[in-house]
Amino acid sequence: MKLITTLLAAVALTSAALSKDVELLNVSYDPTRELYVDYNTAFAAYWKAKTGDTVTIKQSHGGSGKQARSVIDGLKADVVTLALAADVDAIYENAKLLPKDWQKRLPDNSAPYTSTIVFLVRKGNPQNIKDWDDLVKKGVSIVTPNPKTSGGARWNYLAAWGYALKKYGSDDKAKEFVAKLYKNVPVLDSGARGATTTFVQRGIGDVAISWENEAYLAVKEFGADKFEIIVPSVSILAEPTLSVVDKVAKKKGTTEVAKAYLEYLYSDEGQEIAARNFYRPRNEQILAKYSANFAKIDLFTIDGVFGGWTNAQKTHFADGGIFDEIYLKK
Amino acid sequence: MRTIPSAVRTALVTAITAVGLTAASLQAQAASQDDINALREQIRQLDQKLRALERNTEIKDETAAAEAKKQPKITINDKGVSFASADGANYLKLRGLLQADSRWFFGADGPNNNDAFLIRRARLIFEGGFAKNYEYLLVPEFGGGSGNGTLTLLDAYINVNLKPQFQIRAGRFREPVGLEQLQSDAVAFFAERSIVSQFVPNRDIGVQLWGDLFNGTLGYAVGAFNGVPDGTNNSTNSDINNEKNFAARLFAQPFKNDKDSALAGLGFGVAGSIGKENNNAGSLTSGYRTDGQQTWFSYSAAKTTAPLTTGVVGDGNVSRISPQAYYYYGPFGLLAEYVVSSVEVRNQRTTAPASTNHKKLENYAWQISAGYVLTGEDAGYKGVTPASNFSLADGTWGAFEVVARIEHADIDDKAFSGPATTRLADITKSATAAGAYGLGLNWYLSKTVRASFDYFHTDFKLAPGAVPAGTSVIAHDENAFVTRLQLTF
Repeated sequence: MKLITTLLAAVALTSAALSKDVELLNVSYDPTRELYVDYNTAFAAYWKAKTGDTVTIKQSHGGSGKQARSVIDGLKADVVTLALAADVDAIYENAKLLPKDWQKRLPDNSAPYTSTIVFLVRKGNPQNIKDWDDLVKKGVSIVTPNPKTSGGARWNYLAAWGYALKKYGSDDKAKEFVAKLYKNVPVLDSGARGATTTFVQRGIGDVAISWENEAYLAVKEFGADKFEIIVPSVSILAEPTLSVVDKVAKKKGTTEVAKAYLEYLYSDEGQEIAARNFYRPRNEQILAKYSANFAKIDLFTIDGVFGGWTNAQKTHFADGGIFDEIYLKK
Repeated sequence: MRTIPSAVRTALVTAITAVGLTAASLQAQAASQDDINALREQIRQLDQKLRALERNTEIKDETAAAEAKKQPKITINDKGVSFASADGANYLKLRGLLQADSRWFFGADGPNNNDAFLIRRARLIFEGGFAKNYEYLLVPEFGGGSGNGTLTLLDAYINVNLKPQFQIRAGRFREPVGLEQLQSDAVAFFAERSIVSQFVPNRDIGVQLWGDLFNGTLGYAVGAFNGVPDGTNNSTNSDINNEKNFAARLFAQPFKNDKDSALAGLGFGVAGSIGKENNNAGSLTSGYRTDGQQTWFSYSAAKTTAPLTTGVVGDGNVSRISPQAYYYYGPFGLLAEYVVSSVEVRNQRTTAPASTNHKKLENYAWQISAGYVLTGEDAGYKGVTPASNFSLADGTWGAFEVVARIEHADIDDKAFSGPATTRLADITKSATAAGAYGLGLNWYLSKTVRASFDYFHTDFKLAPGAVPAGTSVIAHDENAFVTRLQLTF
């Protein structure tokens, strides 16, 4: 018995001696601050229990496009959790820090949660905004970030385009519609969080086109007596995507923990945390549990309407693309 | 025709007027409310425009600030001109050192050097780095001891700064031996370094591992070099033989990080070098010099008239060992060092009967220097920074520091023994010892400009029986007055 006790103590001591401190950097987009604050705590506890290692996760947030550029320029991200696949693709294309097929490595196109685009209006909805058509009316002031730097803004833009395409039937009409919409935008922030600040704290605009989670967060934080959420008839299925930045993680020796960090987002706990932070979980049961938070909308996909991110990026947001054309004309 | 009674008429007119007025008032009120609503809407729209304008300005400022962080930085100040990438990882600093001196000898006849004005040092210093870890230094010298304006490359090295504790330097730089020798020329107490620096190696070509351990409290350096004679720079850009010298230094500042401690400015250590030199006159000093830069000891040169000799050459082991220390406390500074320089040498008579005089000499020197900043600024190994610049307009005078030094050097008596033909030193031209003291005043006109006024007195001990010529340096005590106006940035 004494021998067993001694051996167990030795094993425990050896394990303690072998456990290590690990640090990860998660480079993410603007509105995920709160989500990852919650998730990082849960993952650190899970990892400690599983391996004995102490993992500390640092967060970096900003416009999704800008964040991708920072990683390309040398920001040592172990993982990226960005607003859209095109920004992760950019990391592959410009820096080859991850493989081309990164999106196939995790389920659901490496998007463990989804979101969509809704409208945030001031209490009482003074401009009586109900759907996308109301945004292009004269005198309506819209807040949305800059699609050149913000992933959320690109989803906003494409949601409006998709609506117009469906309703008016042609790309030309859709272009005209979106051009009218951007005529009503007085301020272009670089990221979604900045746009929320513009609308909520600076009191600018009648409506903010917003991530669903960001809109709920604004209502939760600043009061249901000040803002309300309007759900349009049609919107886009937004799939924020994530990946390990292989070369950085390999160099830092964090590949294993970085992979586990992303995989755990698909666990029940990870999905619950996403749902609590107003992201739509992939897990149907958990989605059902939080269904009150997520209005039923007719959602179209980027693949279905735009032929995927690569096409959408090239046609609309690349230098000299349709957005430049529209916005420069303004 | 019936008439309306006046009372009724009055009442009727009053009533009609009242109704008319009321109707007009209501109409006016309605019109006014529309105006107010229109004005309100106008104000709301103007308010929105104003807010949007402010927010756009805010975003523009934020963007400009973010962009500014990505721009390379150019800095021009009293440390020179520097260019740095936005992240500071790549940089180039342009610095310089210019010393305009004068030397005056007096009090005795026969100094070899003339009273003179001279450019003691004129250097452009290129200091830079790439990717944080890879640093370099290039120092061309336009002035120098020879005073003829010849361009020479003084320092040229690459430093791989992996960690403060672990760095590798390769190229041409000072061997890590002499305490004052390792101090910057611009910040030493006196215009001329002490006699001790004549007994330690100066700049050499080699490779060195070095760093600061224990939070900077213990510095170490160990390196392999071609080997240079005492007080001399490598002048061949190669080696004069296949032997190499090895130098090492340990220097402790145990209280460095305890800023409140009276011992925070205490540093002490030991350094040394070891090597071998064979059969080459270039492996020996061309001469030990006084503070006035006159040669008071040199090894015997080859004789070209009978009886012929080879002259003195290095022939065996060379080594130096140097305990050293400094102490700075407020305006007070003290620096002391001692060195023993050992060298095996040989002189040969080639005219029959041939003979060889081979000896191991142990020459030593020591110095103690002290300074006190009269204006109260802190003294330090890296110099004095005046609290104010000299300015007649502002009535400020910069900083003043008084300095004093005693020093002594002794040549092994064996250098002066034996037959005159193969003696290692000429007793009529070289002294066996030199003792000196110096007194000086440093005036720091600004962070970049220093004026110094130094008086040095040196006396010599002659070998037994030596009768130097009257024009010989060692025939008289040396009294030298050295002034300097220095610009360093």
